[in-house]
Amino acid sequence: MAARRLRQGGRIDRGKPLGFTWNGRAMTGYQGDTLASALLANNERVVGRSFKYHRPRGVTSAGVEECGALVTVGAGARRDPNVRATSQELYEGLAAGGQNAWPSVRFDAGGINNLFSRFLVAGFYYKTFMGMPPFEWGRGTGWWMRYEKLIRKAAGMGTASREPDPDHYEHAHEYCDVLVVGSGPAGLAAARTAAEAGLDVILAEQDGEPGGSYLAWGDDDERVTAIQAVQSLGVRIMTRTTAFGLYDYSVAGLHERVTDHLSAPSPHLPRHRLWTLRARHTIVAAGALERHLAFGDNDRPGVMNASAAGVYLNRYGILPGANIVVATNNDSAYATAASLARAGAAVTLLDARTGVPGAVTGVATEHGVGIRFGCAPMQARGAKGVRALRTAIARDGAWQPGPTELCDLVLVSAGWSPVVNLLSHRGVKPVWDAGNDCFLPADTTEPVSVAGSAAGVWGHEHCVVSGQAAGARAARALGKCSPRFTPPPAGGWQEPLRPLYEIRMPGRKLKSFVDIQHDVTTEDVRLAHREGFVSVEHLKRYTTLGMATDQGKMGNIIGLALMAEARGVDIPDVGTTTFRPPYTPVSLGALRGRSVGTHFKPLRRTPMHEWNLQHGAVMTEAGLWRRPWYFPRRGESLSQAYVREATTVRSAVGLCDVTSLGKIAVQGPDAAEFLNRVYSNAFAKLPVGKARYGIMLRDDGIVMDDGTTWRLSEADFLMTTTTAHAAQTMAWLEELLQTRWPDLKVHVTSVSEQWGGVAVAGPRSRDVLQECVADPSKVDNDALPFMGVVETTLKEDVLCRIARISFSGERAYEVYFPADYATGVMDRLWESAESMGGCLYGLEALGTLRVEKGHVTHAELDGRMTIDDAGLGKMASTKKAYIGKVLKRRPELTREDRPRLVGILPKNRDEKFNAGAVICAENAISGHGEGWVTAVTHSPELGHWIGIGYVNGGYEHWEGGGLVAADPVRKGNTAIEVVSPQMVDPDGERMRG
Amino acid sequence: MGSECVAERESALKGHYKTGRFGETGEPGVKLTEVPVSVLHQIAAWPDTVEAVGAMAAQAVGGETASGPGSVVVGPKGAQLRIEPLKWWLYGVEAPDVAPEEGATLDLSHARTQIRATGPQARECLNRLIPLDLREESFPVDSAAATAMHHVGITLWRSREGYELFLPRGFAVSLWEVLFDTATQFGLEVE
Repeated sequence: MAARRLRQGGRIDRGKPLGFTWNGRAMTGYQGDTLASALLANNERVVGRSFKYHRPRGVTSAGVEECGALVTVGAGARRDPNVRATSQELYEGLAAGGQNAWPSVRFDAGGINNLFSRFLVAGFYYKTFMGMPPFEWGRGTGWWMRYEKLIRKAAGMGTASREPDPDHYEHAHEYCDVLVVGSGPAGLAAARTAAEAGLDVILAEQDGEPGGSYLAWGDDDERVTAIQAVQSLGVRIMTRTTAFGLYDYSVAGLHERVTDHLSAPSPHLPRHRLWTLRARHTIVAAGALERHLAFGDNDRPGVMNASAAGVYLNRYGILPGANIVVATNNDSAYATAASLARAGAAVTLLDARTGVPGAVTGVATEHGVGIRFGCAPMQARGAKGVRALRTAIARDGAWQPGPTELCDLVLVSAGWSPVVNLLSHRGVKPVWDAGNDCFLPADTTEPVSVAGSAAGVWGHEHCVVSGQAAGARAARALGKCSPRFTPPPAGGWQEPLRPLYEIRMPGRKLKSFVDIQHDVTTEDVRLAHREGFVSVEHLKRYTTLGMATDQGKMGNIIGLALMAEARGVDIPDVGTTTFRPPYTPVSLGALRGRSVGTHFKPLRRTPMHEWNLQHGAVMTEAGLWRRPWYFPRRGESLSQAYVREATTVRSAVGLCDVTSLGKIAVQGPDAAEFLNRVYSNAFAKLPVGKARYGIMLRDDGIVMDDGTTWRLSEADFLMTTTTAHAAQTMAWLEELLQTRWPDLKVHVTSVSEQWGGVAVAGPRSRDVLQECVADPSKVDNDALPFMGVVETTLKEDVLCRIARISFSGERAYEVYFPADYATGVMDRLWESAESMGGCLYGLEALGTLRVEKGHVTHAELDGRMTIDDAGLGKMASTKKAYIGKVLKRRPELTREDRPRLVGILPKNRDEKFNAGAVICAENAISGHGEGWVTAVTHSPELGHWIGIGYVNGGYEHWEGGGLVAADPVRKGNTAIEVVSPQMVDPDGERMRG
Repeated sequence: MGSECVAERESALKGHYKTGRFGETGEPGVKLTEVPVSVLHQIAAWPDTVEAVGAMAAQAVGGETASGPGSVVVGPKGAQLRIEPLKWWLYGVEAPDVAPEEGATLDLSHARTQIRATGPQARECLNRLIPLDLREESFPVDSAAATAMHHVGITLWRSREGYELFLPRGFAVSLWEVLFDTATQFGLEVE
């Protein structure tokens, strides 16, 4: 018999029993329980198996520092591993189980590791399996690679579900004047003082209930009064919300667990929320964590933090043991011992100190606690639950064996560590306080204050004053009037504690754990020292001390103390590792928020999106857009469809949604001058009513983007860009205007969303337009010649802009119209085009048409090529200055043997070859070869496969032949010829006609 | 331009926008309404014509000049939103004629989809997606800001009626879906 639920007391609601299962067994707890308290109440002692040795572990704490009771909650897609049972609120129907054990945590086959634990010291696996004699003799990692999987399997934690997460998560943003982290006595006082000064305050509490240490120790009326006070002042209290990180500019990361405590949460609620909170000042009142002590088998189920037992008694109405030994080095455990004795347990208290005044012992002795000074725990007995404790007695400055105490619970209090993590995130190193035996937050210029036991202030009343002082300080820092409080100094024990980290005796081999969660023992720390890993950073990485979910909350200081002892220096000289966010684990779902599934990135729709789908489009991704890929007729494959579509464009007419091209309004009296500097070709004298194809370069002389720009009036241009580089081009133009040429009177504004765009291409394109515009004469060959631009109206009075430009090489137009009219415009154009034997065409046919013409896209303009490489060098002006002009003349960029754009034909016209193939000389098929294929298509016009790509020196250089398209992993080698990229209608007669 | 057209305008949300009551029951915390944009023009000034163009913008809506970036003035004819130091949006009114030496105007009537968010939890709901300080004193009625929502740049105006979201037309459906999903937890009414 050990732990049991008391008939009364605590904050649980005995009128609301909650059924849950542990390893499939039905159990009962109460509303207000955590999973850990419910397991204790059911006297479930072994709830976990350790990381490396598979040693049985029980509940060691009552908070986020838990390092024993790591369990798996939920099943199937909702299986959540490594949940700290101490932080998991109980709900009806909760299903939890042990992890890292087979068949169960009580009987675990992996426990065999414990028998070999003297071999499994820090670094064992690496030392053994890397360079393993006699196979590898100190070199190589072959054995490691072979066995790593098995080794990893033997050690470990719970396993996550491999199914998609059925829950949703979200991000949230909030602002306030003061963020108070922690709602204990200090946090509540700080929030109240700051709010009384007129500040907007948010109080974040990781627990399900505000109150902090009030919940177990304080006067509940005082707690309720304090909470009501802050609420009436408008303080916003966020429960189940952990401030897990503090970042630049006073940004705090908060992780809110919205539904983890509910048995049937609303489907509309996210499971977790990730808050980005911007406060002007942050007050950290996150409390302190009780430390344990390294002694023999100090990880046995039934060894627990002293304060945790107080929490289980006072908050959860559980007496966690019948025969209890409390081991302490400070005053704080006396109250716990007294309350446990009062609740009916037999309690013995071992105080490592030689004696303390009656003022400290008074309450404990009153309730019958037996107190022994100069005593400490040496070794716990009992594998699956403590049965006895062998004690140690201080004699002549050393520890000697003492009597064995029969007990079922050992409580340990070896001092307190303020939670300085958030300040550490800001790069503020904590300072060692030898008197209080802990790291304290250092002074900082950051807008952060620390209050209460997080600042090393121990007493309840002192914590309240400390909180008031921090609140007032924050108020004054933010320009408010607030009364002055004198913050109490760190400390507050009546009798100083005796620093104590490990009990060891010469000649006795004890397995004493420093970091219980990661199975790091005192011997591991000393081994690290012997092997030269003396820096704390090395110590951490070599032994894994301070890693995993608790991040060294329990064990770090012991590890530092042991290293300090081994090195013969003081603890501050050993240093401390930097705490990094998150303070407690944050779910990956919360980090992703709503950016999952179809909303992984926003989908951008053209105004003809639905129209295209209704007309049979198969869509493909183009950046954030979906664009029609092809429009299959019944039974048609992709290749049948695109060949038909391309053929129809060349013989009749086709319509293609080109809305996704970037569209930028360039306006102002200096717009022409601006474009003339941006584009490599001349734009200054572009007449009104004309469009021009332009290529812009980067500063380094490489092609950035291309497109046509239309002059609508003297001071008004419409620039089009490629789909892929629309946003980049817009940003580039803004950058130029704002940083290089602020004197130019030019505004650039994206109008991509304002206009829908459709290409009407093919010999019958003019006929289609003449049927659709209000005044057909506006689009005849004289009014709208090749590269002409006209603003007119369609028959429904819809204003439109038409430019006669051609990507297909046919007579073609781009028609732009206000986006909301897309459906009507497309209906009219399609009715007309269809009657002329036309088609709708998608990206695949568009690709075919442009490959036949040798027109470039970003497959060719890939950020490496010059304008000459792309075969467009003659367009660049020799007379004016433009961006990229100077650096494009670099020797390396003007070499004759650079790759040049070419058309590619298979030597045997019946053969096919692939985009991405490497072009090699047939007698030297290796390495990067002589070039590459950027795009291929089956050309309906030529009746065979063609492609474009780059070949060193251009097609003229290879007129003698001798090239192959090498494609070793897909197709093998195909003999090819390289020709001029303009493979169809090289003189461009069709588009001009 | 748009108003005299015979053709009918079609919302970007067509087929995706359904009125009704969604999500949590009880009094709806959030109401969302699509407000059809009739006219929206941009008017831009040069550094030396800010006053003159500001006056034109004021005259167009029949009110004061919007004093600085982020401010909004509502007049009897429409609203002017100072969206950038040198740019205003004229909402609900046609743009005046502006000579190139003075500034430039641009029709954006079809470029944005307008959603109005109202209700007691509208601010809370928007802050799930928008990283702006929307507290009363920081973002009072007649404030405007360029901000971001689910990876997309948007314009937000707090009007007398509620929060007016101007979503780029092509992203409107995607943003509507995310906004809708977010709003259901507060109890959502789509009007």
